[in-house]
Order: sequence, then structure tokens, then C-alpha cells
Amino acid sequence: MKRNKFIVIGSGRLGANIATKMSELGEDVIIIDLTEDAFRKLQESFSGYEMVGDATDLAVLESAYIKHAKAVVITTDSDNTNIYLSHICYYVYNVPKIFVRLSDTDKGKLLEGTYIKAIYPFKLSLAEFTDQYEEGDI
Amino acid sequence: MKVVITGGKHEADYIVNTLKEEHHQLIVINNDRQFAEYISTNNDIAVFPGDPTKAYTLSDAECENADVLLALSDNDTDNYIACITAKKLFNIKRTVAKVKNPKNVELFKKLGIDSVISSTYLMAQTILNESSVENIIKTLSIEDEKIVMIEIGVEEDFQLVNQRIMDIPFPRNINISCIFRDPHVIIPKGDTRIKAEDKLIIISTPSEKEEIIDFIQKKR
Repeated sequence: MKRNKFIVIGSGRLGANIATKMSELGEDVIIIDLTEDAFRKLQESFSGYEMVGDATDLAVLESAYIKHAKAVVITTDSDNTNIYLSHICYYVYNVPKIFVRLSDTDKGKLLEGTYIKAIYPFKLSLAEFTDQYEEGDI
Repeated sequence: MKVVITGGKHEADYIVNTLKEEHHQLIVINNDRQFAEYISTNNDIAVFPGDPTKAYTLSDAECENADVLLALSDNDTDNYIACITAKKLFNIKRTVAKVKNPKNVELFKKLGIDSVISSTYLMAQTILNESSVENIIKTLSIEDEKIVMIEIGVEEDFQLVNQRIMDIPFPRNINISCIFRDPHVIIPKGDTRIKAEDKLIIISTPSEKEEIIDFIQKKR
């Protein structure tokens, strides 16, 4: 089975920009969102495939070629949905690379023992603040 | 048993009420403040208002090492997260999730939830079992459809009428547990003869069900 699809779930600012970026880099990108409107955030250079649907429905995931995914990035606005989807990608479809955006750092504990990578905007912002503050201090 | 009941409306209220009678240690968590109060007054029990998908809620409610957690909210994903949090972080032995989407029954089990309940799924199973065969046969599935109980009425022209059980070449995986011969209930032995009008109660597995029914109903 050839794994050559790059799947993004949730077309928010982060999801849409990752999708655009990967598409520019030549990846075969599929982006899924509940609403058509969300895809307005994609840049003009995006040349992937847009799919309207609920990714927690396996039929939707499968028609988005989840079985052929080399990577999936999960950025819906609900941490619970993101964890749930990442577990499906990990345990059911064995997607080799899984990234998930989480607001609540506590939820990361549910990913322990897997290779799912969590991205915490909170931690990144805090680190950025600390850096900038220290810079200004000197 | 230490039982944690999260989410849900009337089902939560009912389960709390039932389990309370049997003197289990109950921890009730409900995200809907109004309903939390309702369950609390109705059953004279403390209810924690809070989101059971957050680890700190389960921690505040002291759910560690509970025997069972039931997740009864209307959101399948939230129920999954509550169960997984219970299992991974609180060492809760068994988790039970209610799901709205019947397709999630198999999926949740695959993902590690011990029991998954969908009223639609159960309804479909019941209809399938009831309608798969003629009305003289009733079947009941137990243990997640791993075992079936079949009830078959014996008619006069069946070939096994007047034969001893030990002489009948039954298919595999069959156990005639009980014969109902009005008004008697017989626990059959090898030399028990099957009579017309008997009702056979048979225990078997789902995969053998059809074969057994065909065999029993073979005419002379």
C-alpha cells in the first residue's frame, strides 16, 4: 500500500496554513472540515483537495484516503475531538506520522505510549513571551 | 463496588437510583449544573458539577481505582475521552460508554473501551434475531453476541421426534440445555427422547446458529 497522502483535519488558521504550506512543498494534500466556509482560509497556492465532512465518521476518513496517509495533522477546535481522531489514526489506521494541536496541556497525557506528537500553542506562546521579555530586559 | 457515573440525563438518574439500592459507592459527575442538582435532590446523594473529560474533575471527585466508570453524555467523542482518561490516568478497571452512532460500537471496543452501548445497535440486533427465522424460534444473544440461546418448538414431522438425544448426530457446538414439555421442565440426559410439541432451549454460538436450526427442523 502506497502511503503518499498528507491529510489535514480542521481548516482553521493553523490547519489551513499547514495545508497550504505542504501543498506548496509538493505534497498531495487533502483537507477536511465540517463546513465549506472554512476553506476560505486556504491560500491561493493551495492545490490540494477540499472535503466537507465529519472526520469522526470513519466513512469520511476512508474516502479521504486515510489508509494511504503518510501523515495527518489534526487541528479541530475541540481537544477531545483531536485526541479521539489521533487515537483512530494511530490504533485503527496506523498512520506513520500524527500531529495534534491541543489547548489543554493536561490532555497530552492521553497520548503517552504512542508516537503521536502534540503541539501546544500555550507552551509556544509562553516560551515566546519569556524570550521576548528577557530580550527586552537586557 | 465503586462506580463513577458521568453525564447523561434520565439514564443517569435511573442508574443512580438502581445502584443506590444495592449499596454501591457511587460518584456522580454531571456537566449540567441544573441536572446535577436534580439528581442530587432526587436521590439524596452528592453530585459533582463538572466536565468528566477533564482529568482534574475526575481527580477532585476522587475517582482513582474505581471499579467501573459509565460515560452517558450525548456526545460520543466526550464519552470516549472520559473512558480513556479513566483508564489511562485513574486506574479505573472497567469503562462503559454510551454511543449515539451505532457504528461507534465496534470502533470504541477496538480503541479499548470495555463495553459500548448503543440503543440503536441493540434494537437492530433484536430485530435481526427476531426476524431471521420463523416465529416459532426465539433467540437471545448474551455476552456481546458470543453466545446465543435458541428456543425451537418441535413439530410432529421433525426427524428427531421420538429419538434419544444420544442417538442424534447433532452438529458441533450445540447444547440442549433444557426441554420444556408443558407443564414440565426437563434437564435432558443422553437417553431423553425428544417429543413433538417439546420446546428445546439450545445454547450455541452465533456462527453455528443457522446450521443448528436447519438441523433441528429437518423433516422426516
